[in-house]
Amino acid sequence: MPKRKAIHREKPKEKFSYDPKKVLSKLEEYGRSVLEAIKSGKNPYFDIPMRGLNNVYFDEKSRLIKMGDKLSRRYFLNVAHARKFMQTLLIMAYVKRLVSEGKHASLREAYYANKHTIPGTRENTFEDQRESDPIIEDLERMLGVLREEMHITADRRGYIYGDIVIRDGEDEFNASKLGSGGWAVPGTVEHIQFPEINVDYALVVETAAMADRLIEEKFPKKENALIIATQGQASRGVRRLIHRLHYEEGLPIIVFTDGDPYGWYIYSTIKQGSINLAYLSDKLATPEARFVGMTMDDIKRYGLENVTEKLKGIPPNKKGGPTGDYKRILEEMEYPWFQNREWQRQLKMALKWGVRIEQQALANKSLEFVAREYLPEKINNGDLLP
Amino acid sequence: MAEASQLFKEFKIQSVSEFFRRNAAMLGYTGKVRSLTTLVHEAVTNSLDACEEAGIPPYIRVEIEELGREHYKVVVEDNGPGIPEKYITHVFGKMLAGTKAHRNIQSRGQQGIGISGAVMFAQITSGKATRVITSTGNDEIIEAWVKIDVDKNEGKIVKKEKHPNPDGWHGTRIELEVKNVKYMRSKQGVYWYLKLTAIANPHAHIELIEPDGRLIVFPRSSEEVPEPPVEMKPHPKGVLTDDVYRMAKKTKRQTVRRFLIGEFSRISDKKVDELVEYIAALRLIKTVEDKKVQEQLYERLMKGEVKAVLRSFRGYTKVVKQVAKMMEKPPEKLTWHEAEEIVEAFKYMKFLAPPTHGLRPIGEENIEKGLKGILKPEFVTAVTRPPKVYSGGIPFQVEVGLAYGGEIPSGFELLRYANRVPLLFDAGSCVTTQAARSVDWKRYKVDDLDRTPLVLMINVVSVHVPYTGTGKQSIASVDEIYNEIRLAIMDAARRLQTYLSGKHRRLYQVKRKKTFEKYVPEIARALSVLTGEPEEKIREYFLNFIESHFASKEAVEVSENA
Repeated sequence: MPKRKAIHREKPKEKFSYDPKKVLSKLEEYGRSVLEAIKSGKNPYFDIPMRGLNNVYFDEKSRLIKMGDKLSRRYFLNVAHARKFMQTLLIMAYVKRLVSEGKHASLREAYYANKHTIPGTRENTFEDQRESDPIIEDLERMLGVLREEMHITADRRGYIYGDIVIRDGEDEFNASKLGSGGWAVPGTVEHIQFPEINVDYALVVETAAMADRLIEEKFPKKENALIIATQGQASRGVRRLIHRLHYEEGLPIIVFTDGDPYGWYIYSTIKQGSINLAYLSDKLATPEARFVGMTMDDIKRYGLENVTEKLKGIPPNKKGGPTGDYKRILEEMEYPWFQNREWQRQLKMALKWGVRIEQQALANKSLEFVAREYLPEKINNGDLLP
Repeated sequence: MAEASQLFKEFKIQSVSEFFRRNAAMLGYTGKVRSLTTLVHEAVTNSLDACEEAGIPPYIRVEIEELGREHYKVVVEDNGPGIPEKYITHVFGKMLAGTKAHRNIQSRGQQGIGISGAVMFAQITSGKATRVITSTGNDEIIEAWVKIDVDKNEGKIVKKEKHPNPDGWHGTRIELEVKNVKYMRSKQGVYWYLKLTAIANPHAHIELIEPDGRLIVFPRSSEEVPEPPVEMKPHPKGVLTDDVYRMAKKTKRQTVRRFLIGEFSRISDKKVDELVEYIAALRLIKTVEDKKVQEQLYERLMKGEVKAVLRSFRGYTKVVKQVAKMMEKPPEKLTWHEAEEIVEAFKYMKFLAPPTHGLRPIGEENIEKGLKGILKPEFVTAVTRPPKVYSGGIPFQVEVGLAYGGEIPSGFELLRYANRVPLLFDAGSCVTTQAARSVDWKRYKVDDLDRTPLVLMINVVSVHVPYTGTGKQSIASVDEIYNEIRLAIMDAARRLQTYLSGKHRRLYQVKRKKTFEKYVPEIARALSVLTGEPEEKIREYFLNFIESHFASKEAVEVSENA
C-alpha cells in the first residue's frame, strides 16, 4: 500500500529547445557587423557583458543571480584590445565549424585547435588555455548561448541513477539498468532527451559515497526517486540536467549535502546560480529546489552529537577571526536567498555550536539508516528547507 | 772660494732656441706619439691661419711617411697665400716672432713658438733641414731648406732653388724629417687630431695619407671662410688693479679719462662721469662708522642708487669734485690706490656686455655642419652662448655641439677645443670634462651616458684661455667658464631631449601600427569563415583602415608641432 507522498512530479514549464541554427545565425550576424564597420571606415568592436561581482545582482522576482547590463566594448583598434578582438573572432569561426559539422570539442581541444604562431611574428594566437577559456565565456554572454550549445564541453562530472529513459543520439537506455554505477552525465546535455520518466522526484547528492550507499540500499526503487550525484560542486552539465529535469519534465528537486558551509554553498549554486555564471542562471539554476539536509537540527533529532566535527578557522569573537568556515557562514548569512527564518536559524546554530556534520555521519546509526529512515521520513513529511 | 768673474765665465746668455732645445717637453714635444701630433698641429695651424687671413678656403694635405724605426717624413701642404721669399727665414726660423703673442687677440697658435718649434724639433732629432716649397702665386716657386742657428735664434737657408710657376700655384708645402716619434691611430695621434680639427673647421678640406699609404679625407662641409680675429680692449668688469695700474703707466693718452675711454671697451665719457660718482660714493661710505648703515649703503649702491647715496651725505659735491679732478690728471700719475678705487667702482657699475668682434666662435650652423660632415649622426644641434667675461676683463665665449646616433658608435665622447684647437691630453683635469660630467643626463632622456651614441664637443673661445699647465691641453676650472659650459650643454641637451622624445613617440606609433597589422591575417581568416567573404578582401579593408587611421594621426602631430 503506497503511502501518500508529499513529493510528486509536476507539469513541465519549459520545452526542449536546442536549435543549432540559432547559434550559427548569431555568429554570422556578429561577423557581418564587424565587416560592415570596417568597410565604412569605423573601428569595429564587440559589446561583451561584463563579468565579475560588479555586474551581478539577485533578482527577487525570478529568485536568481542574474547578470547586470554593464557592457565592456572590445575594439579592434586599441592596443589593449586588439589581441582579444582577434581571439574572439578565431573562436567564433571555430564554433561555427563545430556546430555546422555537428562535432563537439572540449575546452582544451578548442584551445589546441586554435593555437598557432602568427605568421611573421613570434607570438601565438593563444599562449595558454587561460586565454581561450575566458573568450569562450565571453561568447556565451555576448551571444546568449550556452557553451554546450556551441559544442564546446567541459570535463564530465557527476552521474545519475533511476528509472528514467534517456535518448542520447542513437542510443536509448534506462538509467536504472546500467549497473550500480549509473549513467555518467556528459559535458553537454543539450541534445539529450527523456522519452520516459518513472520517478517522483530527483535527489541531488553531494558525495559519490552517499549516492552509492543509496543505490546499494535500493533507495531509488523503493522511493521512486532519481539519484543525481554531483561529486562536489555541481558541474555545468549536472546543473543544466537538474534545470531541464525540473522545468522540462516537472521533477521536484531535493538537495542532500553535508551540513557545512561548502555543502550549503553547493545547494545555493544549484538553486540560485553563481556569480561566475550569472548570465546562465536562466538555464542552469533551479530556484524551486529544496534542501533536505544535513541540518543542524538533525544533530539533536538523531542524536549525532558525537559524530560532528569542529568548524575550521577562527570564530568571529576570537582574535584574528572570523576565518575559514566561520567566515563562509557569515557570508552565506548575507545571501538574499538565505534571508528566511529557517536558514538564518541553521546558520546561527552552526556558528554557536562551532560544528559541522557530514552526510556519512548518519552511518553512525547504521548503514541502512539514511535510506530507510532519515531520507524517507524527512522527504515524505515535507521536512525540507526552502 | 771661486772668484765671481770666474763663475760668470761659464755663464752664457741662453737663446730662446737653446731654451726650447732643453725644454721641448714644455711645448708639447713629449712622448713619441704626442710629439708627432704637435708637429703636425703647428704646421696645420699655420696653414689654417694663413688661408683664413687671405680669405681662401683651406685645402690641407698631411702625409706621414715612415722612413725607418721611429723615423718619419712629415709633409704638410696647403693652398694658402704662400710666403714671400724674404720672410721664409723669419717664419720658420725665429722663436717668439709671432705678432699675436703680445696682443689681446684670440689665436689658434698656442705658444708663439709654432712652426719654428717644429723645424727645431725636426732638426734636433734627425739633424735634417726643413724643406719649404712655397709660392705667392707669382711666376716662381721657391724651394728652400731651412735650419735654425740655435745660438743666434735665427733661421738660415741652407740651400735654395727657384722653379717656374706656369699654373700660378700658390701655397706652402713643408717637409720635415723627424726621429724619435711614432705614428699611431690612437686618441692622441695625428689621425684623431685631424679629425677633430676638421670638425671644428668645417670650411677646411683636410686629407691625411697614413704611413701605410691609406688616404683619409675629411671633406669640407661649409664654404664660409671665417674672418680672422681682431684685437680687443679689456672689459671693465673683472679687470684687476694691476691691469689698470700697468696700462696707465704705458698709455700714450693725456688724461685718466681719455685713458679709460680709449683703452677699455664699453667705457664712454658718460660712463666716466658715472664712475666719478661711484668712486665718490664709495669714499663717503667708507667714512660711515655704523657697520649696519654701511652695509645698507653698499646694497643701495649695488642697486644703482648712486645719486641717492651721494645726497645722503652732507657736502658730497666737494668729494665728487675731488674725484673728478683725478680723471683729468695724466694717467702715469695714477696711484695704486686710485687704480684700486676705479676697479672697486667698476664692480658696482653696469656695463654693456663685452664686444664680441674679437672672439671668433665657430658658430652654431658651422658646428652642426662640422659634426654632420665628419661623424654622420642622425641628430645634431649646437649652442653658441653670448660672450661673457671672467676675471681680468677677459671676454670668453662657450659653444657646444651635440651629435647623436647615426654612425656614431655607442658610448659618450667628449671633444674638447680651445679656440678651435683640439685638446687631446689631460682630459681629466679639464673644466669641460667636469662640466660635461656634472650634467644630469638622465633628465634629458639619456639614461645611460656611457652607452649612448653621443658626441659632445665643447669649444672655449677667448683671447686668453686659462690653461692649467704649460702643455695647454686642459682648461682651468674658472667658475664663469664652468657655468657657461653647463648652461650651453643643458641647452643643447634639451633639444636632444625633444628630438629623442619625438623619436620615441614615432617609434611607439610604428610599433602600435604593427601590433594591429600582425593580427589582420588571423582576423581576415576568421571573418571569412564567419561571413563567406573572401579573405583577401577582408585583409585589404583592415589594412586600409589602419593606414588611414595612422595617416590622420600623423597629420595631427605635424600640425601640433608647427
